[in-house]
Amino acid sequence: MANKGQLWETRPLEFWARAKELRAGWQQSIESKEQVVGQGNILAIADWSRAFPDVTLVEDNPAGSMIASQSSPFARKCRLASEIRGWGREICGYQNTCWGSQFLGYQVDGSPFPERRFVVPLPCLCDQHTKRGQQVRDYEPVPQWMMDQCVYLGPRDEAREEAMIEHRAFSMLRQINDIERLFGQQFDDEKFHDLLTAYSLVDQYSRDISVFMANTKPTPLSIKDYYSVYTLGSLTKIDPDDAVNFWKLVRDEVAWRAENQIAAVGNERFRWIEAHPPSWHFLKYYRYMEQYGAVCLGSQYAHRVTAGCLERKPDGTLDRRNMLYYPKDTPLVTREDGVRICLTPDVRYPHHHKMDEFIRHHALVEFADIFQADGALLAGWRCGVGCTLTRKEQAMRLRKAGYSVMFYEGSQPGDRTDLDEKRFLEQLDTWMETQGLEKYAE
Amino acid sequence: MDYKALIANRRSYAMDWKARTGGKVLGYFDPYFPEELAYAAGMLPVRMMAEREPDTLSAKWIYSSCYPVKAFTNQFLLGRFDYMDALVHVEGCNWMYNAFEVAMNHDPALLTHFLFVPEHTDAPTSRDVLRSELNVFKGKLEEWTGKAVSVEALDYAIEVYNTNRKLLRKLYELRRFYHTPILGSEAMGVMLANQLMDKAEMNLLLADYIRELEAREPAGDRVRLMLLGSETWSTDLEEMVESLGANIVIDDLDNGASYCWNEIIPLEDRLMAIALRYLGRPHSALRDNNWRRRPQRIFELSEDFMIDGVLIAKQIYCHPHGLDNYAIWKLLRERGIPFHYFERDLSLPAEETKLRLKAFLHTIKPGLTRLMGWHQPLNLEV
Repeated sequence: MANKGQLWETRPLEFWARAKELRAGWQQSIESKEQVVGQGNILAIADWSRAFPDVTLVEDNPAGSMIASQSSPFARKCRLASEIRGWGREICGYQNTCWGSQFLGYQVDGSPFPERRFVVPLPCLCDQHTKRGQQVRDYEPVPQWMMDQCVYLGPRDEAREEAMIEHRAFSMLRQINDIERLFGQQFDDEKFHDLLTAYSLVDQYSRDISVFMANTKPTPLSIKDYYSVYTLGSLTKIDPDDAVNFWKLVRDEVAWRAENQIAAVGNERFRWIEAHPPSWHFLKYYRYMEQYGAVCLGSQYAHRVTAGCLERKPDGTLDRRNMLYYPKDTPLVTREDGVRICLTPDVRYPHHHKMDEFIRHHALVEFADIFQADGALLAGWRCGVGCTLTRKEQAMRLRKAGYSVMFYEGSQPGDRTDLDEKRFLEQLDTWMETQGLEKYAE
Repeated sequence: MDYKALIANRRSYAMDWKARTGGKVLGYFDPYFPEELAYAAGMLPVRMMAEREPDTLSAKWIYSSCYPVKAFTNQFLLGRFDYMDALVHVEGCNWMYNAFEVAMNHDPALLTHFLFVPEHTDAPTSRDVLRSELNVFKGKLEEWTGKAVSVEALDYAIEVYNTNRKLLRKLYELRRFYHTPILGSEAMGVMLANQLMDKAEMNLLLADYIRELEAREPAGDRVRLMLLGSETWSTDLEEMVESLGANIVIDDLDNGASYCWNEIIPLEDRLMAIALRYLGRPHSALRDNNWRRRPQRIFELSEDFMIDGVLIAKQIYCHPHGLDNYAIWKLLRERGIPFHYFERDLSLPAEETKLRLKAFLHTIKPGLTRLMGWHQPLNLEV
């Protein structure tokens, strides 16, 4: 769309069609009767479930968010179904909505809710993530396997991590071995090892995209566009080869756009960052902000899901932060070798995007600096404890560092109940006006 | 025992304790905090109490969160916890982490530590993780106090805490009698006071108190209730229930029954013994996730304590309980146990809550116990 004040050329994204195909394929896979569909939240460098011939993992975040986006009446019905069964009304919308759909027995399109035959709750700092998978087992007697997201504050302490590493490796090995035993499926260790390589490529491509977004003015990709595809290969589990090819496709297109100054927003003049997820049902605000020439570059959350956290290197380049991985020549022979590599030697992986703010207080300020932001828009998610922790202090730090910060409130990224959309847009108007910006076009 | 005075005077008690012993006071919140270790290091572990007070400060530092956490933050910033030298956060409640972080950043002189306790409590490796974490914490305590924590000190602390748990269990056993000599408000008051005091001193008070209770005339008929839900910080609810002719005879609160239900079984490896006690305790809603023992435990308690109904009082924004309710409600419904669920914060809206409780008590028919012939005709003024 050519707004007034157009400074750069814009073009539609060509990878869009492929993204839609992959997304449709994923939906089919979780509804397939041939597959053992499990509720599984994998936070490791590879989705090990792909090494089973017929196991598909599905998560509740995207399901809950999509319901909220697609149909407000159905989302309300789902939440009501949860609440009358005891779920707190202030529980994260991802879960309230997704499990409400399970209670009702059908999805937004009226098709049956995909039955989960086992559950691996997400090992996470967030209370709600940890507890939420349990719902599957509370609902009907299916096997459940736990794993811990180990946490501590301060610099890395290898001695402290020893027992934690063993604990995590044991938990993951047990999951794999038990699934083999209970569902009669052979885990393909060779395929598992290949998966580790494939996912490292996805990681690399998506990191390249983050670097292009951070370094290039105008940014070749806005976070609105990025969010449309960013779960493919991670939260939305697809074939690893498809994931690698898709992310290469995206990376190449973004690289070309960056090189040729093809902008995501043709009138970019204000760049802002966020912290943690946006209101998935109201992504419209990103487009609304384009009227001011304002573009969002995302959050640590957005760039963490597929890419490594970035840092500015001494030579001025941007690259993955020095995170711990096993050396490339680490023997990869047994299943246990694969599991350990998959989990990385850093027990606090892969939650750096959440823990960052606990361990390194300047994390969000650093992120704003890396993405050359002018301001930050922070959400207060009343029902999303993991999304909201430390947010007020982060705002103070950002302000102190010279960034303009605006807050808005809602119940949770996957729940539209309490987000006053009109008020939110008016707040954005005020924010932009305080930055001396006026709308280019209505 | 004047538990109300003990709770009200907790600051002066802690200050006095410091003056007498020269030790440091350590604040904690999470039910999985290994008090024995701090006690063995010569510190006084004190559970932080959320107290209702006009909240003028927390909103600047914390967004959302449950009211106890807001209250902690407000109280901390107002200097109400000025007697605490150290603050330890146990990985668990996220909202509480935020309060911990504000405290940590606000007062750099405060000694702080983050202790990881596995949420996957039942793996064979969970115990090694917690033992390792306890060892790290022990090192931190030694650094804070400047002296080593000896095996003898650990044994003494374990003995004191085990005695404390035995005495508290005895208190609960007295509540099991159909005509119990103790009201729920008294029992909860004692539990709260207990978590503020030096256990060696508290054990003496408790032993006297139990003797006094054993000699006390049992109370008359009351509807017997169980209390579930988020932790409590006052005895307001228990007192209200009692004013309506009922009595809370058992609970499954983190700072109630679950606090004292299991003891440390001595082992050569003291830290492992402590780790096993905490991993084997009746789990909080947050940590009851792998073997899922909480619903069954609640059912067993409901039978053991011959309850007529259940109250579930959840703090607003308490996510672990908001997520655990489904399984608990399902169990109670399946077993035909009447229950009443309501949300609260630190305050308890008097008239509204009373009205709801009255309505609930009207629906309860304590017929089960009556049929068993244990009781006289009821004449409840509800």
